[in-house]
Amino acid sequence: MTAVSRSFRKVLIANRGEVACRIATTLHEMGIGSVAVHSDADAGALHTRVCDESVRIGPAEARRSYLDIEAILEAARVAGAEAVHPGFGFLAENAAFADAVEAAGLTFIGPTAQQIRDMGDKRAARRIAEKAGVPIVPGAEGDDAAALVKAAKKIGYPVMVKAALGGGGKGMRACADEASLREAIESAQRLARSAFGDASVYLEKLVTHARHIEVQVLGDGLGKAIHLFERECSLQRRHQKVVEEAPSPSVTPAQRKAMCEAAVRLTEAVSYRGAGTIEMLLAQNGDFYFLEMNTRLQVEHPVTELVTGIDVVRAQIEVAMRGALPCAQSEVRCEGHAIEARVYAEDAAHGFLPQAGVASRVRWPSGAFVRVDRGIESGDEVSVHYDPMLAKVIAFGRTRGAALARLTSAIDETRIHGVITNLPFLRALTRDPRVVEAAFDTEWIEREFMAGFEAMAQAPAPDLAVAAAALAELLTPAAGISRTPNGSSTPVSDPFASLGRWRLPGTGS
Amino acid sequence: MKSLWRDGDRQRETEVRSLGEGRFLVRVDEAEFTLSVEVSPDGRMRLRGEAGDAVAEVTASGSRRFVRLGTLEFVLDRESSTRKRVGGAHGGNLEAPMPGVVTRLMVAPGDEVTKGQPLVAIEAMKMEHLIRAPRDGRVARVDAAIGVLVQGGVALVALVELKD
Repeated sequence: MTAVSRSFRKVLIANRGEVACRIATTLHEMGIGSVAVHSDADAGALHTRVCDESVRIGPAEARRSYLDIEAILEAARVAGAEAVHPGFGFLAENAAFADAVEAAGLTFIGPTAQQIRDMGDKRAARRIAEKAGVPIVPGAEGDDAAALVKAAKKIGYPVMVKAALGGGGKGMRACADEASLREAIESAQRLARSAFGDASVYLEKLVTHARHIEVQVLGDGLGKAIHLFERECSLQRRHQKVVEEAPSPSVTPAQRKAMCEAAVRLTEAVSYRGAGTIEMLLAQNGDFYFLEMNTRLQVEHPVTELVTGIDVVRAQIEVAMRGALPCAQSEVRCEGHAIEARVYAEDAAHGFLPQAGVASRVRWPSGAFVRVDRGIESGDEVSVHYDPMLAKVIAFGRTRGAALARLTSAIDETRIHGVITNLPFLRALTRDPRVVEAAFDTEWIEREFMAGFEAMAQAPAPDLAVAAAALAELLTPAAGISRTPNGSSTPVSDPFASLGRWRLPGTGS
Repeated sequence: MKSLWRDGDRQRETEVRSLGEGRFLVRVDEAEFTLSVEVSPDGRMRLRGEAGDAVAEVTASGSRRFVRLGTLEFVLDRESSTRKRVGGAHGGNLEAPMPGVVTRLMVAPGDEVTKGQPLVAIEAMKMEHLIRAPRDGRVARVDAAIGVLVQGGVALVALVELKD
């Protein structure tokens, strides 16, 4: 078997925000034209500015724009794109979309529709994993609530419940007893029905004090695959990852070898095409279980890129063009350490409520070992319609300690004014001794970290901060407050290195 | 100049008086201190005094102030001195905690509700949030309507106390 060999002149990015910007960067590097799509709410958004061109696909509502398959295909036709990169979220794991793209004569940069379907169906995925010799967690699935409750009794509480279709942590709930299970099943069915048109619910035994380890894989679509080592994503809140790193600080070399080999076996067993992630749970006793396979680019792919030197998006495109993997397994090396923090428009001090508004003043960190995958700049709007993730700040170091120190300093350097973000949460989290020592599991944030953080975040602001607000009313012009021109971020500089620019108020300079 | 601020659950009061030459007498609640202030052209303020020495950046967004002090961030809301805070968990109105679309209404006017009972669901950014009754009561009014996009702080349901 040989792969079709072609090269793309133009690729449409069926996404928005930081991931659309991230994909555009690699397309530019490869000399491939980039086509953005945007809803009315995103006219002029950063992802439309960094791409070569942008096509409007509908109103703000995602269902009628970023989830509208016909509108996206029409945009590809209008722009003359030959391939579509789905990013993550939206249609990235929608098999019907992959089918529609191919039916329109375009290339879907990702796995086959059948692979998306199989891995998106937890039952099928578990069967495939089991057959490939990857251990699985005991579980059950169906749309009959009574049968699910019965199964949970047999498996033993606590159990985890989520919609059977669709990946990610959203809508996933842990249930300690039958009453909460019944409520969770109802809620998961409602979300599943509205999001996927299928009320199937999946539940499985909740492995407590587990660590979340995942292996990045690349398949050529012809039965050959390599792994790019593992990431640890145990720092989660409500099953949503917040800080991820590579390599994992908690697996032994023997565990790493076993997990990575299992991941490759699974990838090769389905002749997987493109980039995927095998998520696993590492129990306290050292056993590991297959959780799911995400058939797309993962949010946290940058940490893998920094420790392996392999551009995962480029690898996806190369596989789509030529069925070519970037290198042989023996040539993949994991060197140094990388840690990523996700910046969300969420009020971490008050239940992580999503926030919206204009991010009027934004300053991203810089530095030789800091990478920022961003979706906004100063003056950009954070809309209520989409996911609240604004950016990812990623730091690299020769050791974990060096990477974490750089990340902490990069978070300090980041300033987003105009919309409330989780930066204070990230600041406290990355400084916590347990994070410094890598002594955490997937429930640690909720179990131990949150109470202290909330107390700190809800404490009164220091007098000096309140004084600063009051002084700004008096001292800064017009509306009383300082302004920065929209669309540009303030250059990073040491405020004390430029004392010449400072003046005393009222001295007329 | 006197100002009132909302700082989380608290109200803070400030008074600023110029002493000339960039020096100010500042009162924050009960604490009074002198600060010398330098303002850079980009709006950052360098504060020096017995209360501390720091660079501050303040950005306005409506009545909200984003305050960066050194590398720490705070959010304060400017309040007019006459405005009394109504609603929230203390008043009878239950407000939308954030902007979002109303997806479910679980009560109607006249319904008796118990503390913790879900009343309204709001969906924002792919997540559903339940607005629950803060205490036992009776639904006096439902202002929310399914499918409507509401801003944070908008009243959704009014509760009254049960009379026995």
